Amino acid sequence: MPEALLQALAMLSSLCGMGWLALAMEEHWRQVRGAGVPPAARLRALAAVAIAASLALCLAADHPSIAVLVWIMSLVAAVLSVAFALAARPRWLAWLVPASR
Amino acid sequence: MSRRAAIVSRVLAAVAGGWLFAWGFVVLCLALGRRAGLSWADAQTLAWLLVFGVYVTTACWSFCAARAARVWLVLVGGGLLMTGAGWGLMAAPT
Amino acid sequence: MFASFRHSMTWLHTWAGLVLGYVLVVVFFFGTLSVFDREIDRWAIPQTRFAPQPMPSFDTMLRPVLERIRPEPADLAAARERAGGALPALTPVEWTAYTTHRDPVLLLYTEFALGKDPAEPDAVLYGHATIDPRDGRLLPGDPLKLGSEFFYPMHIGLHLTWHDVGYWIVGLSALAMLCALVSGVVIHRRLFREFFTFRPRKHVQRSTLDLHNLTGVAALPFHFFFALSGLTIFAGMYFPVSETLLKPQAQVAQAAEARARGLPARAAGVAAPLASVDAMVAEARRRWAARGMPGEVGMVQVEHVGDRDSVVAVYRAGSDRVALLGQAIHFEATTGRVLHEEPPATAVTGVNDFLTGLHLQQFHHWLLRWLYVAGGLAGCACIVTGFLFFVEKRKRQHARAGVGGARWADAMAVATVTGMLVATTAMLVANRLLPEALAGRNDWQQRAFWGAWLLAFVHAAWRSRPLRQAQPSPAWREQCIAVAALAWTAVALNAATTGDHLLRTLAQGYWPVAGVDLALLIAGACAAGVAARLRGRRRAPQLEGHHA
Repeated sequence: MPEALLQALAMLSSLCGMGWLALAMEEHWRQVRGAGVPPAARLRALAAVAIAASLALCLAADHPSIAVLVWIMSLVAAVLSVAFALAARPRWLAWLVPASR
Repeated sequence: MSRRAAIVSRVLAAVAGGWLFAWGFVVLCLALGRRAGLSWADAQTLAWLLVFGVYVTTACWSFCAARAARVWLVLVGGGLLMTGAGWGLMAAPT
Repeated sequence: MFASFRHSMTWLHTWAGLVLGYVLVVVFFFGTLSVFDREIDRWAIPQTRFAPQPMPSFDTMLRPVLERIRPEPADLAAARERAGGALPALTPVEWTAYTTHRDPVLLLYTEFALGKDPAEPDAVLYGHATIDPRDGRLLPGDPLKLGSEFFYPMHIGLHLTWHDVGYWIVGLSALAMLCALVSGVVIHRRLFREFFTFRPRKHVQRSTLDLHNLTGVAALPFHFFFALSGLTIFAGMYFPVSETLLKPQAQVAQAAEARARGLPARAAGVAAPLASVDAMVAEARRRWAARGMPGEVGMVQVEHVGDRDSVVAVYRAGSDRVALLGQAIHFEATTGRVLHEEPPATAVTGVNDFLTGLHLQQFHHWLLRWLYVAGGLAGCACIVTGFLFFVEKRKRQHARAGVGGARWADAMAVATVTGMLVATTAMLVANRLLPEALAGRNDWQQRAFWGAWLLAFVHAAWRSRPLRQAQPSPAWREQCIAVAALAWTAVALNAATTGDHLLRTLAQGYWPVAGVDLALLIAGACAAGVAARLRGRRRAPQLEGHHA
């Protein structure tokens, strides 16, 4: 798989991971879903998997020394993106937790 | 001692006293590294890699310690002691 | 002195942040620009807008240029003065050729000894040349590389070269930054709960603090490791133990290690010709490939030039990993025989190479570079929101008490933050406006930078009076408008003076120039947006009343 695709998937995986981590908190869940209590344990488990998957994808794309840096910075970018989305357009994160869950 | 003077003392201790303490740390770390068989470059690099962790710690401690006198004593005294110890180790035959 | 540990850490965070924040935000901003320093060079010097080239033939192209290099005129004049007016005897002692995967042009350096003891710092002079590797010609006029020769040195030493005082100030601010990060984490009560919290619609103090916490915590690994690695890179300057207290022991140890490696520490004093360096480069590349790490040449260095004991070192460019240059192979210069192949790095060297490489970024990875820019901008935002929070919190108290503190903190913040943006964009505009044939063009561009910044300073101070009534200063908005205007003007001037407008560079895929133009357009739009929002905020009347 071409490096660029692996890197893009890693970024996406980090974003999902941080999104789920945020949604596991009641305040942010309410911002996105309006009401209710989040299934916190399940969301945090999903987040852990996504973040680990992101690291694996980074390692597949690059030399380990660079991959680690890309992974950490992807998490930084993900946290900032999720926070700004929650502040300005919380509905944009709704796709992370489809209503059927 | 006025508050302003107390603050100046703490800041000087953190920056200058801290630098002296850090210098002593580098000398001692270099000497110990050489004793452990590291090359000169590696012993020096190791000291430089560790020293800023030490410097930040002493800088923060300079402000939260109860008495400024203790800070000065530890940083200047400790710095001189470590410098002496390190230099002594380097001068001694291996 | 303080009521509690938390209280002392709060005080430390506030004052380390405020006093050195003005320096730090400058260091952070120009550091962020330095991620793309070579791309900015391409924008500033249109004749270098061609694709990056591999290291050309040393024997046919580089050696003739190196032999013709002379020391920097200013340094030569100073040396002549120190020697009492006589022209000092010059002996070239070291040649260096350096390139990275992002450099279309090649940097060549020569170190000259003044005939005295080479260990004396005064006894060494440097000369350099920049050449086009396609034909070996010198770059006419030696134009200033705005990115790598101005913004990058601004980042590492603030252009304060008198006894390296700029490096010490930057170092102190990096130390203060580490203290601010540690103390910030200590005093942040709800670090995990507020990990994603940003409430822009709350009152200014709350939303500013939210953004400060967010940009600080989200990018905490980035801020921490960049401050730490920056300090370790220059550790030799702050703790020069081997050149002072332990100099005798260092020299003995280093001479012994050089002997063990088979590399002569000093020249023999006997002249001898140089063998084919191209053959040595080919051999080096063969050996790297045999070790499973095929690569390009990053640097070639010839020590003890023209001597029997001359050594040629060939370094591999670390574009595929974090470490900068490595896997050096040392050759006997007169015969081309391999003297010493660098063994794999020790643990200590490996860690240091990683830290250094993570900061100095010679790797080939555009995604990581852009992520670094995001981290750098987060750092700037963290520092700026820190200033704003400080001012917001205190401006009412200070206004009531008739104290000027908040006013001057705010004025300094404008002067530093929007001021540096004004200076940077003004320099880019000057770069395009100044006639190509103007004598001292490089100096005029620098004057444009400093002059614009000085104007911004004066403007900020003059417009800060409303802070005395706890009103916001109009300087922020006015300088944002200036930044937007200058940024867009720079893009327009690039199109007008070089013809490389955005549509053309995008169509050709020439990203260095397209990237800078796009960044300028977006920065200008952001500045204009901020100016518009600040206007809206000022319309809402403050109910504090008039100052009698």
